[in-house]
Amino acid sequence: MSLLNAAAPEVGDLFRQLDIELLWHPSLSNDSPAAHDALLEAILAGDVALDILVVEGTIVRGPANTGMFDTRRGRPKKDLAAALARQANHVVAAGTCAAFGGIGTNDTLQGCGLQFTGKTPGGLLGAEFRSRSGGPVINLAGCPCHEQAMTGTLSALAGGQALALDEFNRPLDWYGMTVHQGCTRNEYHEYRVEETDFAQRGCLFFFKGCHGPLADGPCNKVLWNGRSSKPRAGVPCFGCTDPDFPQSFPFFVTRDIEGVPISLPKGVSRAHYMVYKGMAAAAAPNRLKQRETKI
Amino acid sequence: MTRRIIRDLPLNRVEGDLEIRVELEDNRVVDAWSSGTMFRGFENLMVGRGALDGLVITPRICGICSTTHLMAAACALDQIAGVRPPGNALRLRNLTLMVENCQSDLRQSVLMYMPDFATPAHAAHPLHAAAVKRYAPLAGERCIDVVRETRKLLEIIAILGGQWPHSSFMVPGGVTYIPNLAELNQCRGLLQHFRRWYEQQVLGCSLERWQAVRSVSDLDAWLEENDAQRDSDVGFFLRFSRGAGLIGQGRGHGHFLSYGSLDIPSGSAVTGGEDRYLVPAGFRTADGRIEPFDQSRVAEHVASSWYEGVGGRHPFDGETVPLATGADGKKYSWSKAPRYAGLPAETGPLAERVVGGDALFGDLLRCYGPDLVSRQLARLVRPATLLPAMETWLDELLAQRDQPFYETVPPLQQGRGFGLIEAARGALGHWVEIRDGKIARYQIVTPTAWNGSPRDDAGVRGPWEEALIGLHVADIDNPVEAGHVVRSFDPCLVCTVHVVGADTTPLRC
Repeated sequence: MSLLNAAAPEVGDLFRQLDIELLWHPSLSNDSPAAHDALLEAILAGDVALDILVVEGTIVRGPANTGMFDTRRGRPKKDLAAALARQANHVVAAGTCAAFGGIGTNDTLQGCGLQFTGKTPGGLLGAEFRSRSGGPVINLAGCPCHEQAMTGTLSALAGGQALALDEFNRPLDWYGMTVHQGCTRNEYHEYRVEETDFAQRGCLFFFKGCHGPLADGPCNKVLWNGRSSKPRAGVPCFGCTDPDFPQSFPFFVTRDIEGVPISLPKGVSRAHYMVYKGMAAAAAPNRLKQRETKI
Repeated sequence: MTRRIIRDLPLNRVEGDLEIRVELEDNRVVDAWSSGTMFRGFENLMVGRGALDGLVITPRICGICSTTHLMAAACALDQIAGVRPPGNALRLRNLTLMVENCQSDLRQSVLMYMPDFATPAHAAHPLHAAAVKRYAPLAGERCIDVVRETRKLLEIIAILGGQWPHSSFMVPGGVTYIPNLAELNQCRGLLQHFRRWYEQQVLGCSLERWQAVRSVSDLDAWLEENDAQRDSDVGFFLRFSRGAGLIGQGRGHGHFLSYGSLDIPSGSAVTGGEDRYLVPAGFRTADGRIEPFDQSRVAEHVASSWYEGVGGRHPFDGETVPLATGADGKKYSWSKAPRYAGLPAETGPLAERVVGGDALFGDLLRCYGPDLVSRQLARLVRPATLLPAMETWLDELLAQRDQPFYETVPPLQQGRGFGLIEAARGALGHWVEIRDGKIARYQIVTPTAWNGSPRDDAGVRGPWEEALIGLHVADIDNPVEAGHVVRSFDPCLVCTVHVVGADTTPLRC
């Protein structure tokens, strides 16, 4: 559904422009069940080329590694996903669940991602897996994956352009910046003027559990629905692009040591940060302390 | 000699994964089993989490109705906190929920339901070529138009709540953001644009003209009144359905359930029924009696579901302990079987209209029974009932934007609460128990659990299982008729959270 947010280009135009033939999509295709079966057989036999395989959702391995919590015609879908991946020129994991297991990584579902389980390489296909083009699974993390990461990746793959990836195989074009960058609340963050309750104007990092300065993603550079982002609307970033999303501790609360968050902005040293934040709070102008700056 | 066969039909173009098993006798369905084919276990992973975590986790159950789960989760927490949020918070929440409903109703109708009209199974229909031109997947003119217009409409949720889908801007006590004048005016512009498009393209007439259609004879006259109405999505849908012999097909049990929805703030110009909800609550039995809704009469059965347990349990006592016994026994679905006062119940836009005493849908029910055409029509025209109140609430937000949007709620430590609302697909309930500041129990009963439920402890079929009985299937390799029946309920198996995942279907491109 996130993909249907794509505006420039819209999703139908995108496929036409890139000359992508959509073989099948669970929510869009109107093939009969028989035609769908025949298509799958043809792909698995190598008679129909599968240029790009896009997989959504955690790979369910439960119960007891059988995958029977998620089946197609009585057979585990994980086996179908693995078989299709072996036929595909490129494999793309759409969303944190397909990339890293996400919400499904619990003892019951025994979910994993295509090539990672959380931060650990492996997953369904194994760390050594390479698609026919020679690349690993491209992980478009996020819950949901930002539509621009999806349309941009499809454009690059269709155009034969290589995508630089980070350590979790997320393309740097969309995951090479933090969610914090571009947030309209940045000035409140600089001077440590923080929200202590909802519906205030302030930074959400110190008390409301915002992951913006730690999470990799384009949310405040490429806005959602072309309009806004969660932190802009007073909702903390939940770090949904992180391989360990969702966290086990409560959302909306920042875990801290003596008033300073346990998890600091990416790459920052604790000692320096504490000095900096102390001075920043002292330097905060009144217009911020009085929450007069409209964001 | 009669020929009895059993066929398994995986069904795509529903939100999630669904397999229908039908027993056919000379191409007529004599029995049916509906199977949600994935266990998701959302409820179990909620236990032990922070009291507010339902606001983050449950919207992620579903890509098409995440704001809806957010609303149910927030309402349950409001109840635990003992607060009724300020009027502006109710307006903002209602408006965003209604935006999402309009989006879902149109995408389901045009991207998921109508493409069946464009399949070769209907090649002999005189309107088939037109159906292909209009509704072919991703390429049909109407599909392209609906993707564009619903995308624009959803910008309202992004402006007010940060993003769509999967934001968490509703919190106990209200909302997280106070929109400014410019943002509310942008929403007004988007809503006006959507309304004009909906009138011109989907209805082919003004909302007022449509609202004057109050009987089957009114509907017949409306359809012949002019080309704009004949060629609109509603007009085309009716003409195609009649030509394909779909009128009267796919009748359910005739029991209808609505939880009621859209809490009307005090002092609002929007008026509802006897309760304070714009969409009324109630239960209508097959013999036409309408009873007040009482949440204590909801129970979930698991006799046919892959879970442990016996007997019907109220969601506050509900358990979700998976028990995968394979396909050969009595259990055949990851969906539980919710029942109201012991009866299966159909839920969704048609149920809302019927429970609310709507004249047109009451007459359709009398003439054709609770059939698939009325069910789908109710969805396609629901935005006509929502848009006027959406405009009023947005105007009231503009006029009263200096009034509160949030009331401080202290951290939640103990308590039980339920959030019962009408999702696009019908009755949605979150039943939540907090102990020591953590979630002790979280049970979700979704509209698709009602509509797509398997048999209950007494062996009574679920609504769409029942609606398949008697259906004539021309080509058992392409049983498009069964698709019409099931899709008319707008299945969302991802939401049947004990269950399935659209997020989980493993391929495209």
